[in-house]
Amino acid sequence: METLFQAAPFSGYVYPNETVIPWSVLIVVYPYLTGLVAGSFTVSSLFHVFGMEQFRPVSRFAMLLALCLMVCVPMPLLLHLGHPERAFNAMITPHLTSAFAIFGYAASFYTLLLLVENWFVFRPQIVQIANEGTGPLRWICRVLSLGSNDLSEHAMHYDHKWIYALAVIGIPAALGLHGYVGFVFGSLKSREWWSSDLMPPVFLLSAVISGTSLVILLYVITSLARKVPIEESCIKGLVYTLWGFLMFALLLEGVEFASLLYRSREGIETIMTYVTGRLVVPFFVLQLGLGSLVPLLTLSFLIVRGVKGRALIGAACASALLVLFAVLMMRWNVVIGGQEISKTGKGLVTYEPEWFGREGLLAAGSVLCMPMILMFLATRIVTPWAEESRAALLRGRAAS
Amino acid sequence: MTNDTTKPEVPARRIFLRNIGRGAACAGAVAGAGLIAGAHGADTPATPASDGQSFPAPGYDWNAHRWAFAVDATKCIGCLRCVEACKKENHVALDAHHFRTWVERYAYLEGEEKPHVDSMPDPVNIQAAGSEEKYRFANRYKDAKVEKAFFVPKLCNHCTHPACVQVCPTGATYKTRDGFVLIDHKYCIGCQYCVQACPYGARFFNHAKGVTDKCTWCYHRVTRGLMPACVEVCPVQARMFGDLNDPKSVVSLFIRNNRVQVLKPETGNAPNVYYIGLDKEVV
Amino acid sequence: MPKHISRLLLLMAAFVVAALAAKAFFTVNSFYRYGHYRADSVPEIAAMAPSFQTPKACASCHAPRLAEWTGGHHKTVICEVCHGALPGHPEALKATIPTDTVSLCTQCHEKMPGRPDSIRQVDVSQHHPSGQCISCHNPHAPKIGTAIPVTPAALHAAASNAAACAACHGANGMATSDIWPNLAGQNAAYIARSLGAFKTGGRVEPTMSPMAQAVADEDVPALAAYFAAMSCRTPTGKHGSGNAAAGKTLAKQCAACHGENGRPVNSAWPRLSGQNAAYLVSAITAFRDGQRKNPFMSEAARGLGDNDIANLASYFAGLPCGIETH
Repeated sequence: METLFQAAPFSGYVYPNETVIPWSVLIVVYPYLTGLVAGSFTVSSLFHVFGMEQFRPVSRFAMLLALCLMVCVPMPLLLHLGHPERAFNAMITPHLTSAFAIFGYAASFYTLLLLVENWFVFRPQIVQIANEGTGPLRWICRVLSLGSNDLSEHAMHYDHKWIYALAVIGIPAALGLHGYVGFVFGSLKSREWWSSDLMPPVFLLSAVISGTSLVILLYVITSLARKVPIEESCIKGLVYTLWGFLMFALLLEGVEFASLLYRSREGIETIMTYVTGRLVVPFFVLQLGLGSLVPLLTLSFLIVRGVKGRALIGAACASALLVLFAVLMMRWNVVIGGQEISKTGKGLVTYEPEWFGREGLLAAGSVLCMPMILMFLATRIVTPWAEESRAALLRGRAAS
Repeated sequence: MTNDTTKPEVPARRIFLRNIGRGAACAGAVAGAGLIAGAHGADTPATPASDGQSFPAPGYDWNAHRWAFAVDATKCIGCLRCVEACKKENHVALDAHHFRTWVERYAYLEGEEKPHVDSMPDPVNIQAAGSEEKYRFANRYKDAKVEKAFFVPKLCNHCTHPACVQVCPTGATYKTRDGFVLIDHKYCIGCQYCVQACPYGARFFNHAKGVTDKCTWCYHRVTRGLMPACVEVCPVQARMFGDLNDPKSVVSLFIRNNRVQVLKPETGNAPNVYYIGLDKEVV
Repeated sequence: MPKHISRLLLLMAAFVVAALAAKAFFTVNSFYRYGHYRADSVPEIAAMAPSFQTPKACASCHAPRLAEWTGGHHKTVICEVCHGALPGHPEALKATIPTDTVSLCTQCHEKMPGRPDSIRQVDVSQHHPSGQCISCHNPHAPKIGTAIPVTPAALHAAASNAAACAACHGANGMATSDIWPNLAGQNAAYIARSLGAFKTGGRVEPTMSPMAQAVADEDVPALAAYFAAMSCRTPTGKHGSGNAAAGKTLAKQCAACHGENGRPVNSAWPRLSGQNAAYLVSAITAFRDGQRKNPFMSEAARGLGDNDIANLASYFAGLPCGIETH
């Protein structure tokens, strides 16, 4: 008989029902994705709301990235649910005392916000394809343009106001969308590892650094692929952003961890066994050491020494990659770590992820790849890079 | 031609405030409409339950009862009949990882401060039982110097302020008028947030049905005037069940005549399983 | 306002309206009636059929057994604990009679640290390690030598009930013919069980079945006690046609249940000493050939030749019946 579930090995005493771990690697990927959404949107807002010119080159790219990520956000949840076909129950009859119930509305609202904002940002290109394009794409863009090809000064004025307004609304919306994920964990009284008022800010800050890192990485990679020079001021701005938020994130994570150990509530011995045992590599080595301190030192060096050129770009990319890894590890250590510490305070369970299966590592990996695939496809249709002239775009399209 | 933001003629502050206002109005309108459409009285009942018909079962009025459970852990012999009976009565998966009720054994060995605690999923006990479909405590301490040992039966506490109900996003789990916390298997989406929220580990995921599951205090029996299966089969009457509305019920008398405790009172869940015979180390 | 903006606003408004309409449409009927849940779910859960029937369901057919049980120390152990849950019994389900009693009984009674002294516990390795628990203990009234308590008034009434039995079993409990069993001094619990078996059809005999059914359930214990209290008389002379000495050798394997001298420790099993040889022959033969079924007797009688049976019968018939000392 095919086993429907995986029993987890345990040590000490755990409640019998804890020998099956409820939330798998998919629930690690989900906050990671919403975090990346919030982070890329923040980068985009730095230009669109706060008018910081150095972020202009990546602002539209980050906006599109946020949308592609957002569209993939429900995927890990749907793969995890016992009854994904009933997922809308949480929106039809939302139980307002539950943070999960907020998800449906917050995510829908935010997805629509990103859709509309991206629509405004890319509307000139959509209109152009609607007028001058060929094939089915032309018809799609004709629908998308809502039957209007008005690109006059007057129309663009409205567009800019909308972009601004949506970006402004988008900031609290992103905070809500990702902050609630932290609240999902932090508000529970059943797990000492999760129960903390600092969870929402910790999640938010790590979201911003993950999004910023992703933008850095993708900006550099796509610029290299397009053989286009990289704006150093943009990279510098992103480095400053990453640096600042990374420090802040580390501070709060450190305070949260220190408080837990300091309070030393009942069950602390088991937590200490875990922290000094199974958690050493994923937390101290990977998340803190390699993923946080190394980039922090690197970024500090870059800023203090005013490093320029390829060294700056290379070091920024390396730091970004490590931070992306660190934030993934942070999600893992919170979600999986919390479940590995038994509610009894007397035992530990071991999560052994499966490779295949609906909630396996391959499924999680595929979900993580999906936004990149969507970005790739989206950028075949519209271009997020300002410096490419429209004529060049058309020429390229006619040739292909 | 760039189509990025150009500075408007109107002062930026006014634009900002105007847009904030518009944005808030839009968001507010959406949220408000959603709330109005959705909030049919939130958690307060809209219709009184006694509309003439007995609900939810013939001859049973859920307004008339307030049920509670009691456990005398000093009597429990760890025979696990309750575990077997519950699995049979409620068609629970026959393995060592899904339990609506279970028994814990605490054994303090000589010279040790902390007890050894074990329960059904322990491989030694599974081996003593012969398979995961049967349940038995291995007599692992028979040759040891045991200072103190005892058994503690556990089950869902059907709390008055259940954390699981609080976190359910859909309303698939709820508290009934007569004090039961139940799960609607046709509505649950299987997110398992409730499994995380329960401090007692009473809930689990029913992999066969794709929904969460837990002890129901045998609602289908109680509404027929029977006792829960575990209470019926306990050979030493360590488990008791009764109506708190009846001052002469076995549970009412139990609470009145004993110094009773509940598990993890600091959670504020206000559990409704009353114990005597707990120990400092019982979680 | 440029037309794309107005169209966008229209689209957004339409979406909101459609979403709210969908929300209202898809909300199931009974939701919100009593709270934030689907009210129909409550009766659905309440409607599930119970499995455990509890002893009051057993009373209608198994009254003598139930009486025996309520009088004993296992009165807090319901029938389905040992016999398994019995939904749909007897039409849909046969009850299991446990055979591995060691495994079953030790689940509660194995001496284990943590078990309170209020439950009797045994160290399995020291307590009759090679035998079954029910060799000595009546599982329904496990105290050794338990008899069902009977009031004097009931005994008096039993005397008049017993008049109908005299034709075959004799006025003094000594059978009028060798082919029928003596009841005088027989174990009360065994008589009660046999009567119960005749009543329910567990044991079938053309004369006894209607006679047993004529006895009311509540009269059975008293009737059994009445006969049990009678003095038995060991018949003198030749006891059947078998070789008693050969029978004695064979009878060693019977001692586990029927006792060393044909007087069992457990009053649920029949005393064989001084029983009519011809009756014993027919009984053992019936067990061997399947006309009577009993998990232990059927096994015990298997492989016995006709000569063996005759020898056994003669041996037991010749044993002094006496009065049980325990």
